[in-house]
Amino acid sequence: MITIDHLTKRYRNITAVDGLSFEVGPGRVTGFLGPNGAGKTTTLRLLLGLARPDGGTAAIDGARYRDLPHPAQTVGAALDNDTFHPGRSAVEHLRVAATAAGISRRRPEQVLGVVGLCQDRHRRVGTFSLGMRQRLTLATALLGDPGVLIMDEPLNGLDPDGIRWMRDLLRQLADEGRTVLISSHLLAEAAQTVDDVVVITRGRLAAQGPVAELAAATSTTRIRTPHTGQLISALARDGITAQQVEAGTVEVRGADPDTVARTAAAAGVIVLELTRHTDNLEELFFDLTSDRADDRALEVSPS
Amino acid sequence: MTAIARLTRAEVRKLATTRAFLITVAVAVGLAVIAVVVDAAEAGKNHTPALGTAASTYQMLKVGGVCCVAMLIVGIIASGGEYRHKTIIPAMLITPRRSAMVAAKTIAVAMAAVVLTGLTFGLGLATIVAELHAHGFSQLPPGTTRMVAGSVIAAILFGVIGVALGYITRSTTAAVVGAVGWVLFAELAILNTLAPQLAKWVISGTAETLTDPPAPGHTPATAAAVLAAYTAALLIAGWQVVLRRDVT
Repeated sequence: MITIDHLTKRYRNITAVDGLSFEVGPGRVTGFLGPNGAGKTTTLRLLLGLARPDGGTAAIDGARYRDLPHPAQTVGAALDNDTFHPGRSAVEHLRVAATAAGISRRRPEQVLGVVGLCQDRHRRVGTFSLGMRQRLTLATALLGDPGVLIMDEPLNGLDPDGIRWMRDLLRQLADEGRTVLISSHLLAEAAQTVDDVVVITRGRLAAQGPVAELAAATSTTRIRTPHTGQLISALARDGITAQQVEAGTVEVRGADPDTVARTAAAAGVIVLELTRHTDNLEELFFDLTSDRADDRALEVSPS
Repeated sequence: MTAIARLTRAEVRKLATTRAFLITVAVAVGLAVIAVVVDAAEAGKNHTPALGTAASTYQMLKVGGVCCVAMLIVGIIASGGEYRHKTIIPAMLITPRRSAMVAAKTIAVAMAAVVLTGLTFGLGLATIVAELHAHGFSQLPPGTTRMVAGSVIAAILFGVIGVALGYITRSTTAAVVGAVGWVLFAELAILNTLAPQLAKWVISGTAETLTDPPAPGHTPATAAAVLAAYTAALLIAGWQVVLRRDVT
């Protein structure tokens, strides 16, 4: 379990992370999304003890990262795919990490097998492609067989086969009961990978919850009717905000279409057409992180 | 195995798999052997001491300076290189207790200094003994052990200074330029001109006292203590920087 509680980080006059709070649970792949400069990487660095917060706490299984008795065996972190000495071979890189973490000598060969780099284990990392370095970064994270995996942009640099492989691996790791948190700006790919999302913008929480339910909560229902004013008033009496978007068309945001239809019927409003439009992750993301977005965070509890 | 022992093993493994370290050791050893051969060939010519005299052997044994410079570079590569290649990120993820990481790095570099100095002096002495033997001489002068011991101490301390400079600057280039600039300009050009009586108490001066042949007025124990104090001050500064600075 990852718990971020009122986390704040300032760099001179810039507040990179601003009172951010969210939780990430086990058994699910959680996408950590936000536009460039939203504070995703800073949040991950604060969580992993690489930077000190100015306020709030970040904990993994109830403890700060630096207080974990066996950090590499508790958390596998892949923050950057360029954290290798270019002259060292893949297996030597992993042996150094395994020695420092007190992990078995056989484990580096095992994780190289998991990420499909067995053939290249004696190759210098400096000659690796971006995708191969991404796999080696993941191998490093998996060295300690951790229960929590934190990855910054794990889909970067992977070809379509690699993306599918990574997606299947992340699903398998979550299905094993691990907590998996990945940041990504590849929204279409992330949409196929994650169960839940945490969306941040300008260092603040914009939304959190299961992807499907967040999309439903921000969905729109369009009603074509000759009685637009009458329908808007009827919906308002039921606490539903609606607006006329064009002549003869009313749009309702977030409400259940069944409720809208029943309200219209009860008010004697003729409905010519009722359609529901559900945002995909990309539309949801832009909606939540745009300058027009409401300051309040949208939160949906996992069902 | 204790955490420090485990981390030190990992640091030694890092050094052993870093080509720059292996090249530096090879260059230091090669230079030492070449210096001995050249000194032996030049002995007795152009008013230099004749082969077989204590002065000539001491001249051939003056390779401690090479060990110090080599270890300064190794120390800078060991710590500054972590920032250059961003390997500081996995290092700190595995060892979030940063003091332990600095301690392990310092111990590993000190061990490397003993190996490098041992190899350099071992091959240098073997070459000297062979040269002397070929010319009918069989004895090394009494100050040999003191020169070797002084050079080992100086090389260890220079290695640790390198580690500290790498952590303070977070850049191998800045650390090397800073170290060379300090010795050449601050110590040799400025201080040596303005206050020559202090020359033997600056970093390069104390190292010379430790690595040079025994001479009247030399106080190697005091020089070692002064150099150790400089080293400790720089290491504390580097350690504090590592503790306080965010890794970005």
